[in-house]
Amino acid sequence: MSLRVAVTGLGMFMPGFPNATAWAEKNELPVDDPRKPGGLAFDRVNRRRASQMGRAIGDCVAEAMASAGVDGQTTPVIVGSSIGEANAMLGLLDKMWREHEPMSPAVFTVSVHNAASGLLSISMKNKGYTTSIAADYDTPAATLFEGLGLLATGTDAVVCVCADEASPRSLLEQAPHWDMLSAALVLQPEGAANALAHLTIDDCGDDRENITIAPAELAVGFANSPQAGMMDLLDAIQRGESGKLVLDRGTGRGYRVTLTSAR
Amino acid sequence: MRPLLVTGYSMLSALGMGRQQHLSALASGTTGLGPSPIPLGFDTATGTVTVELPELPKPMQAWSTRLARMAAALLEEIDEPLRRAREKWRPERIAILLGTSTAGAETTEVAYRAYVEGGKFPPDYDFQRQHTFGAVLTVVRKLTGCTGPSWMASTACTSSGKTFATAQRLIAAGVIDAAIVGGLDTLCTMTLQGFHSLQALDRTACRPFRKTRNGISIGEGGSFALVEREGDARVLIEGIGETSDAYHISAPHPKGLGAQAAMRQALATANRQPEDIDHVNAHGTGTHLNDTAEANAIKIVLGTDVPCVSTKAYTGHTLGAAAALEMAFSACAIEEGFLPPAIGDGEIDPKIDVNIPTEKTTGTFQRVLSNSFAFGGNNVSLLVGAP
Repeated sequence: MSLRVAVTGLGMFMPGFPNATAWAEKNELPVDDPRKPGGLAFDRVNRRRASQMGRAIGDCVAEAMASAGVDGQTTPVIVGSSIGEANAMLGLLDKMWREHEPMSPAVFTVSVHNAASGLLSISMKNKGYTTSIAADYDTPAATLFEGLGLLATGTDAVVCVCADEASPRSLLEQAPHWDMLSAALVLQPEGAANALAHLTIDDCGDDRENITIAPAELAVGFANSPQAGMMDLLDAIQRGESGKLVLDRGTGRGYRVTLTSAR
Repeated sequence: MRPLLVTGYSMLSALGMGRQQHLSALASGTTGLGPSPIPLGFDTATGTVTVELPELPKPMQAWSTRLARMAAALLEEIDEPLRRAREKWRPERIAILLGTSTAGAETTEVAYRAYVEGGKFPPDYDFQRQHTFGAVLTVVRKLTGCTGPSWMASTACTSSGKTFATAQRLIAAGVIDAAIVGGLDTLCTMTLQGFHSLQALDRTACRPFRKTRNGISIGEGGSFALVEREGDARVLIEGIGETSDAYHISAPHPKGLGAQAAMRQALATANRQPEDIDHVNAHGTGTHLNDTAEANAIKIVLGTDVPCVSTKAYTGHTLGAAAALEMAFSACAIEEGFLPPAIGDGEIDPKIDVNIPTEKTTGTFQRVLSNSFAFGGNNVSLLVGAP
């Protein structure tokens, strides 16, 4: 069992629901809306450089930081993504193998897994810690563990954001397709005054019997995302749930959050 | 911070496999760089792993890639301390925290070429088992039986350095008792073409800190380390600095401000002074901008006397593996009592105002600072100390 921490801010983006407020109110955008992320946390130059996933991360981080009241210049950001900038990689492969043209250096530099976290640190002028991690369907759990580690060693607040672009169909022919999804939490020490909820995390393995919190009602494309567990957690916090929630939908190793609402 | 105990470590690079091959090359100033084995349409040197890699067990063949086989080779080298750790700690208390920049890109680019040219992927290609960041984690989990939290850090050239910091925090937080940390990367066409597009590759072997330096040589390989809450440490990670330049996605801050901050943070977390540092394993990629910025940062933080060597002239820049591999070289300096000569063609750049020893240096080295800097302006400095 991990140490107990407070959740003080939420942020999210998925096509149709541009932020956590819209999700809480089930206020879906009309189908003719472009449904693209704005990249709110980025400055103009870096917003242009960021991928769609990067911009979704930017929206989540901006919303979560604002709701928690933490400073973008000093708050560490952990970006979790299972396949990262895979679509940028496919673009580079097409340049090499299909078009036989030189690579664009600008595209190459933002094809790295930490492109979004790097662009965020530049935009927010954050000269401290940032990281990018990946653990397939356990990415939400890994992101929270990384955050807990920071809090346990003296950090005041940390943003944990999980995101994946829509799955690249050519590479994942056999796997269920997923759509772009991004969700963020701000974690702070247990005693934080503005807590929305408190959580601990542990490994329940195959023992999923005592899971008491239902996952979010997501359309199948979002439910298939490796980051669906982070969305489930955000949704449970918004609903004021207390109990146990598993951070994957049967596709991961079974990390479980014990959640206590602070409402 | 509470020091992190390194109870075992392994090395795989263009210099060979294991301690003896690496020590021999480092002591004799013999580079592992040579012509690229990948046809590219331009000249560049690479650090290619040429030793035979072990095959994965039959039930794991679906995961078998060059990257996964490198992981298997690196695990063999820490088999003994890992066996002791498994007797001491429960498997769910041993984490697997690795770093990579390429993950399985080498496998995917071959498969994708077949797809473009023939309309379908090779029958044995499996993106989820051969490319994703989780693929190698699965291999390491299956080979070791360690079932603690596992993830890949992917912050380009600092990836594997990050894993030491994460392990230190998770041990301090009581989440784990031990971890396999480190990182690995393979050569791939995409990476080489990408750095070529940035005009960042040297046509010949890289020449860190030399007047005629002209870019990077990309390498492949890796290093794993076993770190534990308690045990017989070979070396300690006494301090860690993790900072961001917040300046540019691919260029370092010209004055190395982020690098300075990382080194200062490593010193502060270790409660050490600049004069306590006996050696710097420099990031030293061999590009004009990086070497100038780093040398400036070292001069400001540590002064001009401390001997600085970039071992990338031996192995090439192993990207996501570099920080862990260079932590291992730092540990070797402490344990073996010598610094490898700074190799590379041409004279040391007179504008590089730090001490770059071009001869092998013997002596007692108690504390080494190992620098790694990355795309995204991501910086990690590890302060490696004698136990």
